[in-house]
Amino acid sequence: MLAVVEIGGYAAGYCGRLFVQTGNPVTHITVGQPPPIWTSKDAMNVFLHSDKAMLDTQDLNEVKQLADTADIVILEASTADDVEDFGFDDWSCPVKVAITPFGRTGPKRNWQATPSTLLAMGGFTNLMGDPDRAPLTLPGHFVEFQTGGFAYAAALACGLANETNSIDIGMLEVVMSLSQFTTVMWHCADIVRSRHGNDFWSVVPTNLFRCLDGWVYINIVPGFWDPFVAFLELPELVLDERFITNTRRMQNREVLHEITAGVLAKLTRDEIQRRAVDCRIPLGAVLSFNEVLDDIHLASRNMWISRKTPSNQLVSVPRLPWLCHGKFPTDQISES
Amino acid sequence: MANGPLRDVRILDLTHVWAGPLATRILADLGAQVVKIEAPMGRGPRFYGGIPIGGFIGREPGEEPYNNNAVFVKLQRNKKSVALDLKTQDGRQVFLKLVSKSDVVIENFSARAMSDLQLDYRYLQKANPRVIHVAMPGYGLTGPYSDRVAFGPTVEPMSGLTQVMGYHEGELRSTAMALPDPVAALHAVSAVLAAIQKRARTGVGELVEMSLHESAVSAHGAWIVEAQLRESRLVPHGNRHPEMAPHGVYSCKGMDEWVAIACRSDEDWYSLCRCIGGELNARLTLAERRSKHDEIDQQITAWSATRPPVEVVHTLQEHRVPAGHVRITPEMTSDPHVQFREFFVPLEKDTPIPGNPVKMEEISSLDWTPCPRLGEHNEKILKNWLDFTDEQISQLKNRNVIVDKPPR
Repeated sequence: MLAVVEIGGYAAGYCGRLFVQTGNPVTHITVGQPPPIWTSKDAMNVFLHSDKAMLDTQDLNEVKQLADTADIVILEASTADDVEDFGFDDWSCPVKVAITPFGRTGPKRNWQATPSTLLAMGGFTNLMGDPDRAPLTLPGHFVEFQTGGFAYAAALACGLANETNSIDIGMLEVVMSLSQFTTVMWHCADIVRSRHGNDFWSVVPTNLFRCLDGWVYINIVPGFWDPFVAFLELPELVLDERFITNTRRMQNREVLHEITAGVLAKLTRDEIQRRAVDCRIPLGAVLSFNEVLDDIHLASRNMWISRKTPSNQLVSVPRLPWLCHGKFPTDQISES
Repeated sequence: MANGPLRDVRILDLTHVWAGPLATRILADLGAQVVKIEAPMGRGPRFYGGIPIGGFIGREPGEEPYNNNAVFVKLQRNKKSVALDLKTQDGRQVFLKLVSKSDVVIENFSARAMSDLQLDYRYLQKANPRVIHVAMPGYGLTGPYSDRVAFGPTVEPMSGLTQVMGYHEGELRSTAMALPDPVAALHAVSAVLAAIQKRARTGVGELVEMSLHESAVSAHGAWIVEAQLRESRLVPHGNRHPEMAPHGVYSCKGMDEWVAIACRSDEDWYSLCRCIGGELNARLTLAERRSKHDEIDQQITAWSATRPPVEVVHTLQEHRVPAGHVRITPEMTSDPHVQFREFFVPLEKDTPIPGNPVKMEEISSLDWTPCPRLGEHNEKILKNWLDFTDEQISQLKNRNVIVDKPPR
């Protein structure tokens, strides 16, 4: 086990969540006001900080004392200067991670940021939303949680190797490192990837379609074309020259979308899902979070663990997304 | 191969597409010895009929187009390649011998694929009781959906995200970029390292199951809890934010030019008002700013739309207001800050590839190796790891069990 101290916002919090749920003791320290969130504080606290020791303090000497005794310390701060102001470089903990929006060096190290400004600068925002409208930012805490994942990996890797290290993670670089094919598309094919609403664009049909009681998303990569026409119950499309290759389907995108929309509009989500399973095509229904909570598959895999909110309400919280021999990682720790 | 704290960890990588290869790239960037076990046709046919989605590294298909697919290459640095036909009995045996010398086997096949190859955890464990098998099937190995086909774009709406993303409730939007894949990649990395930590205590390996679906759901945990605490349904906020106002994406001078601006606090709002001037009231509270968001957006747009995005961002940042230009790739790579930190690495035929966001002593892109050619390390790995002789290797080559080109 590694003793972890985590200080600051939601990236450090997510990193700490990964540590605590894999059996490492974690102390979460709040110094000052936490950053704005998308949910209530209760919801975020129960999700991120269940099972951690909690400390709220303004006393940096107290923070240093705790940091000095930890195996790993994760500090999330608004800027590079804030990291120094915490006294981070003086902490004697063997593995230290500083998370900032732009990293600890470089001309923008003290720039201000939020997830939405980082998604914009990191190339994500330009890809989301409709082509003739303002691009859309991504709601939620993707930037922080992914950064927390990198912090966990780097810190634990050092911890496992018994190495002392001071680690610098910039959130902008996290965002840029997770680009799909946007950067190589420009450098290797001179194409600026752009936004197309719900349409993935380069693989057709890959889009959101309305059905009788909601929406479904379909992603027909080339190998799934034949099963897809069976799914539509329109076998004649297999030989239709307009759709014979992905390139041809891209050229005839609107017609194909119209045909697909026409079929799906008359079916319910359940009927569509049954057909998708029978024909083995990739399809997912748009679910609300309440529907996610009621999902039979997730329930069968024990996705939910019960925790109490600070106001004593019992809620279901998702476990870590992996199972060890079919069990939740910390169950096995307590068994062993 | 990169230097880093995972230098003693050996990983056999059978992953494909995005989530899996990204996970193993992250592990390789941290120093792990990642050997990509590739099917002979795993990189596509010997000759391409068209241009892959991200083009060719070096802009030309070259004589080995299957080795130059940019989207593939981008994810494979610091790895070694063994092209091994697992569908043959000999290939399977060679693989199990490699397993006996490895710490981790990671794959993102469908739920049944490893069983069909007789390479599921039972077989791996027999070859090496300490091996950690990380399986990444779309919906996990069990449960009513385990047989379904899953890709990032179809899993995303099932995670709940699509219901809260869009211009408004009647106009839902997907990210249209397979967001669950990078989320699963980071979770897979975490799962690998957590299992290694656990093995240090137990001495034995295990089967770790990391589903794309559960990964996406887990990342929205705060919303899932929130849904249980409130009576009203969670809906899209467009570009707005429940705890920040103003918060939006605003047009600037130029074609399709935008900036993201966010006021986290009353101080940010005060500073924004000082920048923009006009009729904005610097004393508005968060609640007041939220109720007047439309009006505020109009005033911000009136100011930003007459200025280039870089000017808008610099003006606001000088006043410590979070602002970021909605950028495209050339704007990211030419950013002096990004260049100062040498984030993009021209490792692959001078093509800038996104680097490692983890900066620490001993990790340097100067140590990195480019994407290997298909089967480039067949001989080296079989000799160094398994002590195979030249004759044994020749026999495997002659029977096409190991290859360095896709079959004709």
